[in-house]
Parts: sequence; C-alpha cells; structure tokens
Amino acid sequence: MSDAAGIEQDRSSLEAENEQLRARIAALESELVEVQSRANAAVAAWQERAYWLDRLHIDLNSLMRKRGANQARVTLKGVRAAVWAAQRLWRRLRRP
Amino acid sequence: MSTRATPSRAAKTRVSVVVPVKDGARYLEELLAALAREAVDELLIIDSGSRDGSRDLARRAGVDLLEIPASEFGHGRTRNLGAERTSGELICFLTQDATPCTGWLQAYREAFELAANVGAAYGPHLPRADSSPMIARELSEFFAGFTPNGAPVVQGPDDASFLSNVNACYARACWEEIRFRDLDYSEDQAFGADMLAAGWLKVYHPGAGVLHAHDYPPFEFMRRYFDEYRGLREASGHVEPFGLRSSTRQVRAEVAADRGWMAERGMSGPARARWTVRAAAHHGGRRVFSALGSRSERIPGSIRGRLSLEQRTAAGEPRTTAPGAAGAVAAGGGSPIVPSRPVEAKLSGEVYDVIASRWRDGPASLLDPVPGMSERDHLRLAMVIPPFNRGSGGHNTLFQIFSRLERRGHACSAWLADYQSQARAIWPAVLRQEVREYFAEYEGPVYKGFEAWQGADVVIATGWQTVHALLGLDHCRTRAYVVNDHEPEFFSSSAEQVFAADTYRYGMHCIAASPWLRDLLIARYGATAEAFQLGVDHDTYRPRPVAREPATVIYYARHTTPRRAVPVGLMALAELKRRRPEVRIVLFGSDHVLDASFPYEHLSVLGPEQLSWLYSQATVGLCLSLTNFSLMPKEMLACGLPCVELAGVSAESIFGPDGPLALAPLDPQRLADALERLLDDRSEWERRSRAGIEFVASHTWDHATDEVEAGLRHALAMREAAISAQP
Repeated sequence: MSDAAGIEQDRSSLEAENEQLRARIAALESELVEVQSRANAAVAAWQERAYWLDRLHIDLNSLMRKRGANQARVTLKGVRAAVWAAQRLWRRLRRP
Repeated sequence: MSTRATPSRAAKTRVSVVVPVKDGARYLEELLAALAREAVDELLIIDSGSRDGSRDLARRAGVDLLEIPASEFGHGRTRNLGAERTSGELICFLTQDATPCTGWLQAYREAFELAANVGAAYGPHLPRADSSPMIARELSEFFAGFTPNGAPVVQGPDDASFLSNVNACYARACWEEIRFRDLDYSEDQAFGADMLAAGWLKVYHPGAGVLHAHDYPPFEFMRRYFDEYRGLREASGHVEPFGLRSSTRQVRAEVAADRGWMAERGMSGPARARWTVRAAAHHGGRRVFSALGSRSERIPGSIRGRLSLEQRTAAGEPRTTAPGAAGAVAAGGGSPIVPSRPVEAKLSGEVYDVIASRWRDGPASLLDPVPGMSERDHLRLAMVIPPFNRGSGGHNTLFQIFSRLERRGHACSAWLADYQSQARAIWPAVLRQEVREYFAEYEGPVYKGFEAWQGADVVIATGWQTVHALLGLDHCRTRAYVVNDHEPEFFSSSAEQVFAADTYRYGMHCIAASPWLRDLLIARYGATAEAFQLGVDHDTYRPRPVAREPATVIYYARHTTPRRAVPVGLMALAELKRRRPEVRIVLFGSDHVLDASFPYEHLSVLGPEQLSWLYSQATVGLCLSLTNFSLMPKEMLACGLPCVELAGVSAESIFGPDGPLALAPLDPQRLADALERLLDDRSEWERRSRAGIEFVASHTWDHATDEVEAGLRHALAMREAAISAQP
C-alpha cells in the first residue's frame, strides 16, 4: 500500500471518528435538553402542588420545626383516626 | 453609697430655677410662692403658649418670663434654652405642677457638697392630699427605694440612671458638657445615662421633695404611660416585657398592695372597693400601654396618634447616636444640624448593587456552543423577567411567545429578577399561577431569584432591570435580548436612563418588537438586531356581532404611562368635542377618573373579551405612543375599528405612511382632524376598517414566535461563528 493510500485511509477513518463524536455530542446535548425538560416539568408540578402553601406563605418545614408541631400533628392524626373509626362503626350499625 | 451632708460652701452657691409652663395656672401661684419662700437666686418661667392666664400670674409675681411659640417647645430643647438664659452655678428644673416643700433648696445645695463631681441631684415626688391611692403608694414606695435609711445617696455608674426633670438640679458644668438631647420625651433619663457614662455622679436627696401628682382620668393615664415608655425606648432602647400571665400576676399584686396601703391609712370599705376597681384598671392599662409605647414603631401612625396623650404620631425607635460625654453637635444646643442616623448596609442584591458589580467585574464568561447547535431542534431557554402586574403588555408578549416555544419542545424556564422587592410578598408558585392567569398557559417553572440557576443554551433578557443580573449568570452558551420598547425613553435624565441605555451595549443580540426599534438599536447602540411583529389573539380580537355606534370615539387614556401622551390626547378630544358636541367620548385603560375639559364616559381597565366588544361597537379608536408601537392599535384593527396613532414615531415602520392606521402628528388640532375625518368620511372609514382586518390577519402569535425563535437561533449561530473564527 502506498503512502498516499495510507494517508487517505487515515483521513477517512479520522473523519468517521469525528462524525461519530459529533453524533455522540448531539445525542448528549439532546439528552441534556430532555433532562432539563423533565426537571422543569418536575419543578412546575411541585409549584402547582405548592400553590396554596405559597399563597398563604406557609413554609411547612419551618412550621414543623416549631415546638409542639409534631405533637399537634400526631394528635390530629389520632383525632382523624378516631373520627374515621366512628364513621365506619356508624355505617356498619346502619347497614340493614 | 450613702452619706450625710456636711454643708460648707453650700449656702454660697447661686441657684437658678427654670420652669417650663403651658396652661399651668392651677398650681403656678403655689409654686411661685414656694420658690419665693425658698429664696432662689433666679427664676425663669418659659411659657409656650398658655391660654389660662399663666403668663399674667408670672408677670404679677415679677419673675422673668420668656415666651416661645408652642411649635418651638421640646422637653430637651426648651430646658437647654432655660439653662442658657440663666446664670446660676446650679440650675433647678421643676414642672409647673411640682411645688417645692420647705427645705428643698437647702437640700439641693447640700447634695452638691456630698462629692467632688456631683453633676445632678433629684428629690422625691410626694403625693398631694387628693392624689389617688395608686399614685400615692407608687410615689412613696418608688422614692423610698433609693434610700433605705432616709439619708441622701450618691449614685455612680453602677446605679440606675433615673433622673426626673419634674424636680431636679444640675451643676452648670455638667449641663454644659452633657446638655439635654432634643427628645420628645425622657430627656432627663437620657441625661442621667449620659452623665453617668461621662463619669459624673448624681445624688438623691430625700429632703429636696416636691408635691407632685398627675391626676388624669384613667384612659389619659394609660395614654401618658404610652408616651412615657415610647420616650424611654427612644432614650434608652428599653422594651417593656409583656406576657399575659405575668402581667395578670403583676396587676393582681399591685392591686393587693394598693388595698393594703389603703387599709393602713384607715380608708373606709366602700372607698376601698371603689378604688380597687380603679386600681385594677390603672395597673392593667399601664401594663398594656407601657408595652405598646415601647413597641410603638410597630403600630400604624394613625393609631399611634390616638394612643398618645400628646397625640404624637412619631414611632419610638431608639436613637443610636447618643450625644454623650464628648458633647454632641446636634442635641438642641444651637446647631442647625439634626442628629445623624446611621443606616445599615442593605444594598446587597439590589438592582444598583447588581449593576455596580457588573460594571466592576464584567459579564460572566459564556460556554462555547457546540457546532450546529443553532440548528438543533430543541434548546434550553431561560427567560429572565422583571416583576409584573395584571395587564402588563410586555409580559403578555413574552409569555405568548415563550409558551409557544415551550410547546415546540424547547426546555423553557422563567426567572424573576426582583431587585427592588416589588414581588417580595409573592412566592414562586403564586408567581407561576399569576403568569398562567394573566398572560398565557405556560407550563414550565417560574423561579424567583437565581439560587437554583442551572445554565441554558440561550438566556433571554426582557427588560433593562434584567440585563445586569443576567450578565452574571454562568453556564450559558449565548445571551439574547427581547426588546419590547426603547426603555431609556421611559425616564427623564437620570441614572435609570443611563442604566437602561447601558443594557444595549453588552453585545447581546437584540430581537426588537418593531422594525423601528430594531433600526434604532443598530443605529444608536451598534447592536446586532432583528425585528419581530407583535401578534394578535384573533380568537378574542375579531369583529363581534354587534351594531357599530355612529359617533363614538374610544381613547386608551392610561395616564400613569407617560409615553402615552395622555394630555395631548385629551387636548385633541377637547378640540373634537368643541367641533362636534354630539360625539360620544369613552376613556378606558385606567382605574383613575381623569379630569377633562369635556364630558366623557369612563371605563376602567378592561379584560381582552370586554375590549374586543368595545372595539367592535366604537366608531374610531385613539391610541398614542411616543416610543415603540404597542399591541392595542393592532387589536383595534383586528376588530374592524379604524384607529388614529402618532405619525413620525414607530407606526410607519409596520403599517407604512398610509396603511390601515390613520396617522397624525403630535398636535391636538391635527389629531382632531384625523378623528373627524374618520367620523365624517364613511368611505375612508370602511377602507381603513377593511384594510386593518386584512393587514393584521397574518400577525399571529405563532408568527411572532417563529421570528423570535429565529432570532434566538441567530444569536447562537453568531456565537458559533465567533468561536469558529477564533485562531
């Protein structure tokens, strides 16, 4: 094989490698956009859910750090469980 | 420390007495007689506008009388004046309702002999015969607390700084060094603290007593406490603690003590019961009003005025510059300079701070774009926006376009730059909801500030307030600038005008909201720029099935936006009304009803649906803009309503010199001519109405989005080209 043919082969192989790398970069860039889109959607969904908390200026993390907050939560949970149990019992008693 | 007085030079010391008076006739005669009995060397009455004969009493007694306007009175200021106008080595201050007891003057002379550097002395306030049991007990117990054994007491820096100008005496040397602060209240307490800090001593002498009591009705007592504790806060920073349970306990204890005091003095059962009720109200009110007074800065001014006996609305924030031992330039001692007030640094993150740091540090470096990036289907776009309100036309344009870019698959996020805290009370999720409610169905997130900044292929500036912040954001491939208007023209000669103009000089590719604006940015600032056409929401803005009225002119009179040239519009309409009195004129676009020289009908700010019906019923529209063309004339045209706009600004760049829009120069007569022509000439009206609908038919938000997207891609392509051109 002549030198010229060898150089031509090397050039072709480099160009092919470049193309592969370009394609890989393009794929990675597309992935980045995709990941960014998903992150945006996740944050937007969180903002959708947090609307009333933000509207009422409630930071639940700081609220729950206050003294007695967890006890209040447990108490409410207990009350709710009791109400639900009473409702179930009432429904059962009323069943024909 | 406690000691017995050993008078030596005391009798030689010259004593001046200063008594500030306003409507003090009730006790003044008694006071003057007592001072004559005590044989003071000099007496000065300072009257600040009495109307009850106090001045006549003073003149009849032959004492020196200085009259000052009530507006010039100040507790510290006036006493400084009194000290300046007298010459005694000792200066006594009494209030108009304090009557010296026998031996008062001798006691003060003794007090200043007790130690070398006694700067002030004070004596007890004794209850008058008709004082309430609460006040009588309180005064007796309070002053007894200073001297357990009944002897005069020298007080130094470790003692309480209490001093009361109801009854106090000062060494002139001490007063000259310290002087009274120009406070609205408690200037004596401030003096006490200042003099002790400066190394002077003070003396409590039980022999220097005065009969004194403030007899106010219960509510006035409370208001007085409000004033006193506000003054105390100003003078010393004291904040009276308040708790419901602790206050209740204290009030109960005070009432019990009052009852004990009454029993000791043999008061009858019914009288004790009556005073017990008064005592409960007195002590309870005192607890509440003293707590309120020392927190008065948190109370609205109007309420503060009502809670104050002096009806003073000023807040009682502590003064941080105490004129101390070294003497102050501004404590009412003749200097016209008011006390300076130190201000903490607050500017971090504020718009000017951001501009300063950008000017100092320059823009953040950009990432190199990947070759071919500008042609890629989807990009990461981040738009930085200024704060907004409902009805903001610029934000509507931005989100109409941005939501469409999002629907085309670009990863879009919006970032609020709020350096002047206009949206301080609005949290991010609410901001996002407002964007969706006010402008467009944007699905992405809205961030407030840049703490969560993630980088972008193109970061988009949208107003002058956003640019300097945006220039500091990293991990961006390029920056672009959507320019809705030439914002330097929003300001008169000012720093803001300079800042706004500066934003066009950072090499950001501009996407301008009209050809006129594009050309201006290129010519004046050397920016690269292209134009996009504002879109029209044709689903909303279309001719409605309603009869058009024969002679109704509607005018977008948004006077809060100076570039709308509302005064000129009103002049043109006045001229039109003069020529054609039957014409019906309707103003809209502002909640404020404007004064005009002609009768008209007012419609405030209307929503898009209402506007489209208004445009469909009216005969001619008038909408003026001194800067870039706005969306409103296009929306009028879309509803088949011919519209008059200003010639020679930006409209020609969109509609041409004689397109569907009627143009007239900024001249009321010529504007009235244009309006009148459209009212009179039916064929011209129909031509412009038809041409308008046809012209704006292609002006859609989708088309505007195409143009803006192309502009963003150009920005990236220019950056790619610049990178590839680098050696």
